Parts: sequence; C-alpha cells; structure tokens
Amino acid sequence: MSQPVAPVRHVLIEGNKTYHQITEDLVSPTERTPTREWIVAFSLSAVFLSLYLFTIVWTVWKGIGEWGANRTINWAWDITNFVWWIGIGHAGTLISAILLLFRQRWRTGVNRAAEAMTIFAVICAGQFPIFHMGRVWLAFFIFPFPNTRGPLWVNFNSPLLWDVFAISTYFSVSLLFWYTGLVPDLATVRDRATGFRRKVYETFSFGWTGAAKHWQRWESLSLVLAGISTPLVLSVHTIVSFDFATSVIPGWHTTIFPPYFVAGAIFSGFAMVQTLMVLTRKVLRLEEYITLNHIESMNKVIVLTGTIVGVAYLTELFIAWYSGYVYEQFAFYNRVTGIYWWAYFGMMFCNVVSPQLFWSRKIRRSIWWTFFLSIVVNIGMWFERFVIIGTTLARDYLPSSWSYYNPTWVEIGIYTGTIGLFFFCYLIFVRVAPVVAIAEVKSILKVAGDQYIGPNARARHAASGEKTSVKAEKED
Amino acid sequence: MRQDNGIWVGTDDLQRDEAFMQNASAEFSLDNIDQTDGQWSTNRRDFLKLLGFGLGAATVAASCEIPMRRAVPYVTKPDTIVPGVANYYASAFVNGGDYCPILVKTRDGRPIKIEGNSLSAMTGGGTSARAQALVLSLYDTTRVKGPIALAEEDEPTELTWEKLDKNVKGNLAQGGIRIITQTVLSPTAKKAMGEFVAKYPDTQVVVYDPVSSAALLTANEQAFGIRALPSYRFDKADVIVSFGADFLGTWISPIEYAAAYAKKRKLSKAVKGEMSRHYQVESHMSLTGSNADNRILVKPSEQGAAICTLFNEVAALTGNAGVGGPKVNDKAATALKKVAKELVNAKGLSLIVSNSNNVAEQLIVNKLNALLGNLNETVDFSALSYQRQGNEQDLTRLINDMNGGAVNTVIVWNANPAYDLPNADKFIDAFKKVKNRIGCSLVMDETTSLCTLVAPVHHNLESWSDAEAKEGHISIIQPTIAPLFNTRQAEHSLLEWADSANLNREDDQPYYPYLKAHWAAELFAKQNKYNSATAFWDMSLHDGLLDIPATGRTVTYNESANADAAAVTQPSGSEVEISFYETVNIGGGQYAHNPWLQEMPDPVLRTVWGNYLSIPVEWDGVNNINGWKDLNDGDHVTVDINGRSEKCTVVRTFGQMPGTVAIALGQGRTAGGCGVGHGVNAGAWLTVQNGLTQYHAGNATVSATGTKEKLLATVQYHHTMGVRAEGKEEGAVINADEKVLGWKGFQGSLTDRSIIFQANQSELPELKERMTKFHEHAKHLNEQTLYPDRTEWFAEGPKWGMYIDLNACIGCGACQVACVSENNVPVVGKNEVARHHEMTWLRIDRYFYGDLENPSVVYQPMMCQHCDNAPCENVCPVNATNHSNEGLNQMAYNRCIGTRYCANNCPYKVRRFNWLDYTTADNWPGNEERVLHVDDKPFYADNLVRMVLNPDVTVRSRGVIEKCSLCVQRIQEGKLTAKREARMIEDNDVRTACQTSCPTGAIVFGNVNNPNSIVNKAKNGALDYQVLEEINTRPIVEYSAKVRNSNEALFS
Repeated sequence: MSQPVAPVRHVLIEGNKTYHQITEDLVSPTERTPTREWIVAFSLSAVFLSLYLFTIVWTVWKGIGEWGANRTINWAWDITNFVWWIGIGHAGTLISAILLLFRQRWRTGVNRAAEAMTIFAVICAGQFPIFHMGRVWLAFFIFPFPNTRGPLWVNFNSPLLWDVFAISTYFSVSLLFWYTGLVPDLATVRDRATGFRRKVYETFSFGWTGAAKHWQRWESLSLVLAGISTPLVLSVHTIVSFDFATSVIPGWHTTIFPPYFVAGAIFSGFAMVQTLMVLTRKVLRLEEYITLNHIESMNKVIVLTGTIVGVAYLTELFIAWYSGYVYEQFAFYNRVTGIYWWAYFGMMFCNVVSPQLFWSRKIRRSIWWTFFLSIVVNIGMWFERFVIIGTTLARDYLPSSWSYYNPTWVEIGIYTGTIGLFFFCYLIFVRVAPVVAIAEVKSILKVAGDQYIGPNARARHAASGEKTSVKAEKED
Repeated sequence: MRQDNGIWVGTDDLQRDEAFMQNASAEFSLDNIDQTDGQWSTNRRDFLKLLGFGLGAATVAASCEIPMRRAVPYVTKPDTIVPGVANYYASAFVNGGDYCPILVKTRDGRPIKIEGNSLSAMTGGGTSARAQALVLSLYDTTRVKGPIALAEEDEPTELTWEKLDKNVKGNLAQGGIRIITQTVLSPTAKKAMGEFVAKYPDTQVVVYDPVSSAALLTANEQAFGIRALPSYRFDKADVIVSFGADFLGTWISPIEYAAAYAKKRKLSKAVKGEMSRHYQVESHMSLTGSNADNRILVKPSEQGAAICTLFNEVAALTGNAGVGGPKVNDKAATALKKVAKELVNAKGLSLIVSNSNNVAEQLIVNKLNALLGNLNETVDFSALSYQRQGNEQDLTRLINDMNGGAVNTVIVWNANPAYDLPNADKFIDAFKKVKNRIGCSLVMDETTSLCTLVAPVHHNLESWSDAEAKEGHISIIQPTIAPLFNTRQAEHSLLEWADSANLNREDDQPYYPYLKAHWAAELFAKQNKYNSATAFWDMSLHDGLLDIPATGRTVTYNESANADAAAVTQPSGSEVEISFYETVNIGGGQYAHNPWLQEMPDPVLRTVWGNYLSIPVEWDGVNNINGWKDLNDGDHVTVDINGRSEKCTVVRTFGQMPGTVAIALGQGRTAGGCGVGHGVNAGAWLTVQNGLTQYHAGNATVSATGTKEKLLATVQYHHTMGVRAEGKEEGAVINADEKVLGWKGFQGSLTDRSIIFQANQSELPELKERMTKFHEHAKHLNEQTLYPDRTEWFAEGPKWGMYIDLNACIGCGACQVACVSENNVPVVGKNEVARHHEMTWLRIDRYFYGDLENPSVVYQPMMCQHCDNAPCENVCPVNATNHSNEGLNQMAYNRCIGTRYCANNCPYKVRRFNWLDYTTADNWPGNEERVLHVDDKPFYADNLVRMVLNPDVTVRSRGVIEKCSLCVQRIQEGKLTAKREARMIEDNDVRTACQTSCPTGAIVFGNVNNPNSIVNKAKNGALDYQVLEEINTRPIVEYSAKVRNSNEALFS
C-alpha cells in the first residue's frame, strides 16, 4: 500500500528503522519473558476478573434483586455499562475500516491494538444484556430458531432483538477483520519461533508463506471486510440507540439519538485507544511506532467527536424547549437541574469542555495530558449513558412512581469486574501477538519512516546503515 | 492349493488348515457374534445389558429423591365440591366492633378470597381492606395450635382440652371472675356469656374497644337515654361536619358510611349540582379529611373549642342560647362561622359527627344535631348500631380490683389490654397479680403470653356465630373450613366451663346446635319473611343475613343533659401537640400481624410496615419545601411526651397543621406474629382523662437524633400535583412544588400533565371546556401516526373496559388488598419495599394539590391500563407480552426472560418485576435472605400460608415481570358461564376483584362493545379522560375528573 507521498506528511516511524528492526521490535515482546509490570497488571486484572465471576454468580444465584434497580428504574448500571463498552468498541472498526478506506496511514500504528480493544470491549459489553435478564438460563429464547414450543418466535419489532443481531454481527465481522490482519504477522512470529511454539503459530497463521498471491488475496479480503465493516460502525450504535429512541419515555424518545450515539461511541472509543496506547507504547517501548503524530491525530478525532456530542446535547435541550411538550421539557429540565444534576454536569464537563483543551497543539502532543483527558472522556461518556438511562427513568410521566437509584456492591463489582475482564484479555493479547501490525507498518516505512521524509531525511538516510549497525551491536 | 487369486493370509490359509477353513467360512455365523477376537471383555450384548441396567438403576436411584405428592380422590365425593369450581358461603367478618357481611370463596375446601355480600343493606356488597385480609389471618403460622399451660420461666406445656377444662373449672370455683373482651356483636355469644355469669355470679364482664367511642355512648345515654350509636345517614346529608371523626377510614362503621357518603359524591351528582359538602375539622390529614371539601385546621386540644364555637355560631343564627366555652384559633373561627350559616340553611339535611372521647364535647355535638333538626333524619335511632360497646372506665376499676386481690380468675377473650390500653404497664402489673389468667385468643399476643392457660379460639372462618352490628340486621357466621388446629370457639369454652346443659357435647360442632337453637327461639318469631323454621334457618344461612323490620324509634334531645362547655378539652397552648390515630389497615393494633395489611400503604402517608411521625411541611417562599425543623423523610427523632421518649422516624406530611405532629397507633408490637418489631408503640403515650382515653397529648418535644432510617418503607416519593403558595420572588401565588423540582423548576411541569383533572364544582363549565380542548388536542396528536388504525380488531365479541370515578374513590385501599388476595401478589416485606421493590399490581396514587398549607387530595387507583397501543408489547424481544382481541394486555410468564424493557417503557409504571424469589417458587434457600420472613422462615415457604393462594392464578417465579391482568381468570370463568348458558356475556358475569371490593362502587368494569353495559352507562362524556391520552397508548381504563364542592370563600 505504498503510494506517492508529499514530503509534508508526518513521520510515522521514527528511529531510522530497517525492515528487520521493525520485526525485531514488534515481535520480541511476544518472545521475552513477561516483565514485572506485565505480571503485576495481569495479576490485578485476574483479581478483578475473579470479582466479576463472583458477582455474576451471585446475581444469577440470588436474583436481580441484589442490584439497586427498582420498580421505576429497571435499568441502571447494567445497561449503562453495556452502552459504555459498546461505545468503546467502536474505535477499532473505525480505524481499521473507515480509515483504511480513507487511506489514513497513521492508522497502521494503532489499528491492531484498537481492533483487539474492540473485540474485548464487545465481549465486556455483551455480558450485560445477558446477565441483566431475570431468567438468564432462558436467554436462548432471544434467538429466532424453529422450536418445539409451538409457533413461538421472537418479536421482530423489539429493539432488543435488533441489538442481538447488531452486536453479534459486529462482533463476528470485527473478529474476522482483526484475525485477517493478524495472519501475516503470526507467520512472522512463526518464522522466528521454534519447537512447540512454532507449531502453535503455524496452526494459527494458516500456512501463510508470504507468496504474492497470498498478499494479493489478503489485500482483497481486507478491503472487502473494510467495506462490510464500514456500515457496521454506524449501524451498531444506531441500533443500540434504538433501545431508547423507539420507546415512549420522554428523554429517550428522540430522533437525534442515532448520530449522537455514533459520535459519542467514536469519541469514547478513541479515548480508550489513547489510554491503552499511551500505556502500551511505554511498557512495550514502541514509542517509535506509536509516535506523537499518532497520538495527535487521534486527539484531533476526539476534539471533533466531542464537539459533535456537545452540539447534540445542546440540540436536545433546544428541541425539548421548542417542542412545547411538558414531559419532554421536564425530562431535560430534570436532567440538568434535577436529582441527578451532578451526573449531567459531570457529563458536560468531561465530554464537552475537557476535550476543547486539545485545540492547543501543546496539549494535543503531551502524553500526560492525553492520558489524563482520555480517562476524563471515558468517565464523561459513562456519565452520559447514566444520565440517559438513570436520570430519565427516575422521573418520567407519573410523579407518583418517581424514585431514586443507588448501586449495590454487586453492580459495582460487575462493572469493575468487566474492566478486569477487558485488561485480562488485552494483556494476554500483547503477550501472544504483535501489538502493532508489522506488515502494515513495513508497508509505509518508505513513505513515513523518518529516514525518508521529514527534516533531514536524506542525511539520515545516508547515515542509516552506520546507525543500524551501531544499534545492532548494542542489542547484542 | 492356493486360492484362486493367489493371495493368502497366513500359513494356515496357505496350507488350507481345516480348522481355519471352517472358521473362515463361518465368519458371519451367529456363533461367532459372541466370540470376538478375545480382546474385548464386554461384547455388544453385554454392553447393551449393562447400559440398560445402568440407566435403569440410575433412574430408579434418582427417582427415589423426588418427593411424592399424592392426589387422593374422594371415595365419596361431597355434592358441593367440584374440583376447579369455587363455592361461596355467606358469612361475616367480625373483629370486635368491626363488621362486614361477606361471601367466602372456597376452592376445594379452602377459603381463598373474601367478597362483599351484596344482600346487605348496610354495606351493599362493599368491603374494607381489613375484611379482605381476613382470609390470610386464617393461615397464620404463628397461631396458637392447641391448649397450653404457661408458667413463668418454664417451657409452655401442651394440654388436652379435658385437662384445661378441669383446670379452669377448678379456678372458676374460687369466684372473683372477670371477662375482658372487645365489643361483642354476637347475640348468641352474649347469651352464652349470660349462662356463664348465671353459673358464676361473681363474674363481671369488662368490655372496651382498642380505639374508644365510650364518650359518644355515654353522651347518647345522657342525651337520648340510649347507650348505643345511631345510624348516621351520610347519604341524606347535604352538609357534613366531622370533628376528627375518620368515618370513611376507621370510625365505627366505615364501609357503611363510605357507601352512603359516595352516593352524594359521585361525578354524576357533581354534574347535576347535587353533591354534598363535607367539612373536616382536624390537625392530621386523615383518610376522611383527605376526601373533605374543606379542611379546617385546629390543634388536637382545640377540638372541644371548635365544637363549642360551631355550636355558638349556630345557636346565634337560630336564636338559641350558646354554650360559651374556650376559643378556637381565629382562622378556624372565621371558617366555622361560615359553616354555621350553611348548616342552618340545610336544616335537617346536615350531619355533625365527632371522634372526641370527651362526654361534654359529644353532648354538644348531640345538641347541635338536635338544634339543626338532624335527629331522626341524618342521626337515625330507628336502627341502633352496636359496633362500639366498650367503656374503658370499667378497666380502671378492674385494675384496682386486680391489685386489691379481689380477682382470682381473668378470662381475656379476643382482647389485648396488655398492649392497647393507655395504662398498659399498670394493667400488666395488676394482671400478673391475678392467680389464674386465661387467654382465649388466636395468636400469642402481648396479653396471651402473660396468661397461665391459653384456650386458643377458632378463626372467624372456622367458627359458628352471628353478629348484630345494627339493630335488626343480623349476620350468620358459618365455618368455611374445618378447624386447622386444635382450637375451640371461646363461646363453646365459656359454655363448657359453665357446665351448660344447652351445649350438645355429642355433636361434631357443639356450638352449632346452640346457635341454631338461639335463632329458632329468639329470632324466628321476630321476622316475617319465612313461615317455617327450617326455611328461616336455611335461607338465613344461605343469605348470611336476616333483616328484621326497623323499629321506627325516634328520639328527642333530653334538655337536662348537661352539655357543659366548661368540661370540654381546654386548648393546651403548648408549642407542639401530638395526635394519635387509628389507621385504615392496622386499626388500633388488632391487624398488625397480617402481612397483607402491613404491606398495604397507609392511604395518606403511603408508608408500610411501621408507623411514622407526621410532621408539617414549610414553604420557604423561594425554592424549598422543607420539613418542620428542617427534618427530612426518614430522619430519626426522639419524641418525648410526659417523660416517656421513643425514637421515631419522620415523614413530612402535607396537611399536617403547623405546631402539631401525629403518629399512628397499633405498631411497636412485642409479641404475636409478623408485626413484631415495626415502628413504635404510640399507645403508651395515650393519656386518660376522667377514665376516658384521650388520643392526643400536649407538650411533645421532638428533637433530631442526627441519624436516618435506612429502611424507609414508602411507596411514593413525590406527593404533589400543584400545591400553591405565595412565591417571594414572583410576588404571586405559584405552584410551589413545581418550583422545587430542580433549580427553580418551571411552572406547569406537573399541572400540565394529563394525569389528574380537577376543579371545584363552581368551575365545572370551565373544566368541561378545558377537557374538551384537551381531548381534541390529544386526538389531533394521535392522528399523526404512521400506523393504521386497528380498532376493527376489537369489533367482534367483548372488548373489556374499566371506568374509575375519582369522585367516588376515597382511597381506602380495599381494592389493593383484594387484588393481592385474588392474584397471589407476593408480600415482599419491609426491606424490599424500602428498596422500591413492592409487587402490588394495583396501587392508589395519592396527590396533594391546592393550597400548600391545607391541600386537597385526589386518589387515583392505578393498575395496568391495558393500552390498545401498548408500549410494553412491541419492546419485548421474546413476545412474552401481547394483546388479546378483547383488549387485554396479556403476560405469558413462561415466556418472560426478564429484560424489564417493558417496565421501563410503561408510561404508567405498573409493571412489577420479581426481583427475588418472593414466593419461594424456586425452593432454593440460598436466594431467600432478603424476602419477608415470618417465624424465621420465608413467608411463603410454609405450606399453611400457601393454602391462601388462588389456584386459578399462576404463582410467579423469580425473574419474570407481572402486572394486572384485569382478573383474566374471572373473565374466562364468566365467558365459560355465558357459553354454557348459550348467551351473550353480561356485565355481572365478570367483575374484577377491585371492583367487587370497592365500598363506594368507584370502579366499574364491563364490555364496552355493549352499549348498555354498566361501564358505558357510568361514563360522563367530556369529563372522562384517559391518563396520558396524548401519547396515543389508548388505555382501556378511563378516569373521571375529580370535582370538589369546596367553599372557596371559607377562610376569606
């Protein structure tokens, strides 16, 4: 995928890398024994994963009554967390599919990790719709299949059913896309591995030989999958938003929800990618592949989508006022100033105000600011979902039924537990597969490597041979 | 020789060995099947045998673990019992003076539901929550299960009845006998007591009521020469003034009064301008006060002053002499002056009642009724009421006697003086000094646990008895189930102990012939309906009622009765006064051990499981409605009255007069059943004046403890729908509650909702216009739909509909308990209600509106609205809820997976989720910690309690949604009846549980496709509406606007 390139393009691979060095740098994390940081992080995730398993078993055994949800607020942290995780799961596909179609080269540094994050986030998200069911042992009722229970079919009118289709489709396509990208890299790992390890990678790389025909098919498949995924990026969160938009509850029943949810999803997804990338590049020493330019590009996406989300918030308020409809007006009045006003202000501050700092180039290129704000944005996006679900349900049509909600330790355990589940998966992933797509990075070396473009490219190019040998010696 | 193809497999083959050749040719012979190559120890057949044996053994072994439940058919089937078909037996609910003629629905010999007896002229078929809950107390696991002897410190020992009788007779022989009981309505029981007294002449019967009307009885005796209550004719009164009397909820005969009251309150009456006007003078918002057109606030100690003031005003207007007396607060005085004018204009058509337990006050009320010409009109003595007979003055004497050693034996029958007397401590001390203490009661309550012998009695539904609540209106009580435990009726015990010759001990049910004999001897002659004694008994038993022609008695006020204003309660002038009141559900404590009643929300406070201190609310004029002293709902306070202090939980209550607080009686129980441990015993604060219990006290100090109740069990958190007060910032009267919502909320945020429509009668045309416009607007909005109109789906067959007249609904909660009983709605307990997990299918929303300090109330029974365009139906992913072509929104519990989307999407929030295993349907002990426990086990886990379940209604398990089905089991039954009789379905074929229980007929149900159905006839055109009509859900439940007949110029 090398195209002619204007010299004004950013340097995306630093350190005057050769192809071999790229392989070395990116494959070696899977070959070394785990670092202490990794072991600590992994143990911590395992603890939270255990907490997750414990609280889920507790819920199924004892009943949903162990949660704080109640007769008025029937969904609370469960669906909030579901939408939050699904939102996070959006960046991967966006980066791999839409940015691929747009020929955004900077995606190559982050797409692998972002796609993995997508898969794991969707796994986490999927837990909630399943385990929020009162009778989870009958969850298979939601699948339309010929059955012996009479002519009993699912209700195709229900947005919850659309969710089932949307999420399972999204998950399968994302998984496929991610794995397709992995195949050449797994082959690279295989080629360097020996013994049993080699056998495993041989199996998983599907006999990849690097033949031209393989590459050609691989490129075609990537493009086809990108084509399939692109509408999914838009459809999944649109359908998730239908869970709310098709209801009659004021504050949910709004046509703005699909675009607003999609923008919010990309927003939170990029924020999560930032959180992970900032950590990963540091821990795995990949600063030369995930450069400040990458981070800056993603921050630009964050400020754009954050602003879109902000416009959506204001539009909602305007439409509520303009509707002249008392329930709608009250619902939004209540969001802003009602019992859960702190959640609304948390959302506004974190999602709309805080990303505006990224207008400053200095902050955009600051690792610390990026890390801090990416966390703030994800807190804000969690608040957004809670505002939409909790605050809206707490005070709907009949004042007699208004109530308040507080989470119990079980719900907190499940939520923090899914974070454990997520990092558990992610940490295993960084140990077994290259976190940066080797083949794709190599493909842009000549158009984005600092020896070819950027200031002093030629000079460094000339000196590159010498530099490389020096580095190689050091490593020995 | 080689084989033809030249291939050989071994030397045997090559040499054509004989044995080999034989085997080779018989390769597939049957003999060889058993003989494999010797490597397998088990061949195919053995394998199959082993498999079969193994499976069989495993099956048999596994089967042994399954408990067998045998359904044993009758050898000789009783004629009356058809499995699956309910029998109804006429009977009556009686508890002390509480009375309701009922039909008991039994299925396969088990009473499961109470219906009203519509033959009764008194109640017309209405019931109360207390009557509805009767059936659950039958299956109370904490009942005393047989005669026992209790000795201090020793374990109780079980006795036989013979032994107990022998003991008791030995005790009785010593003389000095007292019987303590509540009001006894049964003439036959009185006869039995008479026999007992004849045998033991040294017996005194002490009668008291847990909440006393003794002063009223005394006043009637002095004024009219009759120590009984008149029939109050609320249906004849155009102007009603009640001084604290909660006649719709708790006072004397609420079912009867509510039915009569509603006749003059229904919307049709309001439209015709024939509505009565009702003034309530009180400090704490009672159920009756909440229904009043105007409430006049007076402090509890000012009630006497208010009565005097009204009397003086009326006397002045009619040219009679006043009584003088203390002054009431100025605001009340102004109002009472106007009330007096109205009363004088409605001579003979007004009614004054009071709950004062002060003889002078009641005498002035009697005199006032006489002055207004109400005697023999609305105060009717032609049929006396016997529903309160107690006189607690006798108890003071009893306590002295017991202390003085004059008493050897006390028999306590259906009374709990160790709990409900104001001086219970003194009673307990004296009681313990009595040698022989015999308790005839149902449960081990505070008094029974102090007894030496317990002779447990039958439950109401296991007994033979009768009840004359009103002169000439006699009910027969018949057993509907054989006694569940080794119990005996108290009347039987008394006769046994009296060695009565009239008791046929050989009979299966010895008291039955006694009762029958009494009826034949005493009542047959008095009636003129039946000619033969057999027909008389059979038909009376069948109807459950006997009406003897009225006496035609009239009375005049005896002028020598000393209506002395000096003896009325003097206003105390103390800073904080407290009043103690009886609640609709718990009474004075008699019903505290009934889980259905404990979990029925108090109509006004909306709290359950316990009692809460009502404190007034204060509007700061800007942005807050605060509790008095800045207390908030659920704050703990220490209430100190006359040196006795208790920790109470506060609930801010609209309509509570400033400077007063109030708390309910009947809670804070220490013994007896599920009611133990909830709330505080406010009865211990009651004071006694001239031997009469006073239900208020002055000098109450309330101080915050700084702690908060974690389990504030209330079912409603927002209480108002536009309470108006002066806004300081606006400089005008605004809806204060709307301003409080959020930051300086916006006006109209509550009142513009189409949930409640209300107006005063004087504004009826404006209301009609407003509602007509609203209907048009809603119709316009609803026509903007993309979907086709599907009305024609409901054109064939019946289409069910419900109509609720909010003017007739008094909020008494009978329907709610009836629904719980009919539909197996689980009781969840205090913990779960505090977590907003109550399961009631039908709730009664209560909203305050109007003046913030003295608001009006509207009650709105809210159940599934069965929307034709139901939001719940299209969001269910598995089609667990769907619509019938009769307009019912149906739930298929088996299909429900519990996503709860339907509950979120229900605009009426009537769907209920089984958060936990409330019914113990899973039989899975690990998940039952949070559900209601009685006797240390989950409430429904006991098979005895499960006997109350209606077999026609599925018991729901954990994790499914449930909601009102409009009693679909009754609809099905009605349809089958009509089908069997080959006719169209009629209104009376199907009546929902809420409808039949309602004492005022506020709920009407029927087929809207039939133009002549009662539901269509009940409607009132433009004044009817559907809740949230404009969101196009198309509910089939319709409500009427709430119309009040307030005197708007009362306080100006």
